[in-house]
Amino acid sequence: MNARTTALLVGAVAVALVVAQDVQPGYALYHSWQYALALALAFALLASYALAARGGRDGVVGKRLLLALAGAAVIDVAGLASGLLGPDTATIGGAPGTVVPVPALAAAAFFPPADPATIAHGDAAIVVRRRGKPELTVSGGGRRLLGESVLSLDPRPAVYLQAYDAHGAHLTITQPTGTAFLSPVLLFGAAQRITDTLSVPVDTFSTPGEHRLFRALYFTPKQLAQFPHHVGDLTRPAVILTASDDAGTSLGIAITQGDPVTLGGVTVRPTLGTFAALSIASAPDTWALALGFVLIVLGVVWAALARRTDVEASGEEREEVDPESAEGRDAGRHRQHA
Amino acid sequence: MLAGAPAQSFTLTRTDGRSDALANYRGHVVLMNLWATWCPPCREEMPTLQQFAREEAGKVVVLGVDQGEATSVAAAFARDRGVTFPILVDEQQQYGRTYAALGLPTSIVVGRDGKIVRGVDGAMTLAQMRAAVAGALASTR
Repeated sequence: MNARTTALLVGAVAVALVVAQDVQPGYALYHSWQYALALALAFALLASYALAARGGRDGVVGKRLLLALAGAAVIDVAGLASGLLGPDTATIGGAPGTVVPVPALAAAAFFPPADPATIAHGDAAIVVRRRGKPELTVSGGGRRLLGESVLSLDPRPAVYLQAYDAHGAHLTITQPTGTAFLSPVLLFGAAQRITDTLSVPVDTFSTPGEHRLFRALYFTPKQLAQFPHHVGDLTRPAVILTASDDAGTSLGIAITQGDPVTLGGVTVRPTLGTFAALSIASAPDTWALALGFVLIVLGVVWAALARRTDVEASGEEREEVDPESAEGRDAGRHRQHA
Repeated sequence: MLAGAPAQSFTLTRTDGRSDALANYRGHVVLMNLWATWCPPCREEMPTLQQFAREEAGKVVVLGVDQGEATSVAAAFARDRGVTFPILVDEQQQYGRTYAALGLPTSIVVGRDGKIVRGVDGAMTLAQMRAAVAGALASTR
């Protein structure tokens, strides 16, 4: 393998490593010393070849390829910078209608208010606001780039609760241990181990007007399938609700996939679905990537033209080529390959 | 509490059946009180809040927002206690969520410009209510 092939291969691997940050963001690998070392070594190899090619050791093609290698180097440095300086992968959760600071972005995440339909459809978008800059809306399925960060939504299990007393009067829902005291949306920030292999999201809420405390366990369809007996529609999630009074006395247990259940004199109508958290991962700077790819394309095309010209020249003017010149060596190589 | 941020508003039904929202009181200093009938400190605070509303009429709008209960429950309570200031019934607890209430009662002072001035967790005395709105009355006069 000659120096040019090695340089092109190293450049391609470096670009692939950096583009991986964009394609599959969130891996801790991008912040590891091994990743940084790989990109630094790639940069050193590219620089080494570039110095040699600049001195004419790889002919006209080598000189023209410098443009492409400069592009690869730009991408390499962008990836190194985002890996070393970009934010660590993090997920920011917030209750519907709340604002959560995001120090890593010097921004605030605005979680939209949610109603039962929003939770059922899981289509809430999160707005990221920074002082003096345009706001950024991150919606389901999409990713947004912000400097050296890529933002996306991470859907989490959520249940919108409505509770009624024995007369059908609406009851206040509170979450004394939750992130939002007066939110009727459970976000299941904790997990409970059910069996050795099964751990499920758990949350609590209360209806202080009726002095009832509830515990909710969330089961995905896949987890429901592990139940030894029939528990309902295995294509939909379910929650198990348990109720107790102020003294901790158990008042019953029920499983529901959305139908109202009555426990301890309180009827609970849950709407099961998802509410997204904001996922933040490092990403190489978009402009640097764009510049790098433009340089790569221009450099490769330019080098290919030089190679073609060389081949044509070597066929028509073989006798006129000075075998000692760089161009002559280059043309000589083509002749050998031919 | 986002002091200085625009106060978010949701249109709801009042205990007297009319539709109303915080935004309708733009141009006034508003003391918005989040409460519920099951909340003992809220029940204790309510007569003081009524007195404050009466004394500051024309200068400060007191707006009650019942959290999560039925209109009939909130209306019966207000009627029994002789409450005359407007009370919104927030069954979905939108105000409570948005203003990040840590408990009940929670009071939010909103300036004439519609921006949040400050929030107060827990029940207030009459003197504390006067002090809470003093800055908003002075700075936006």
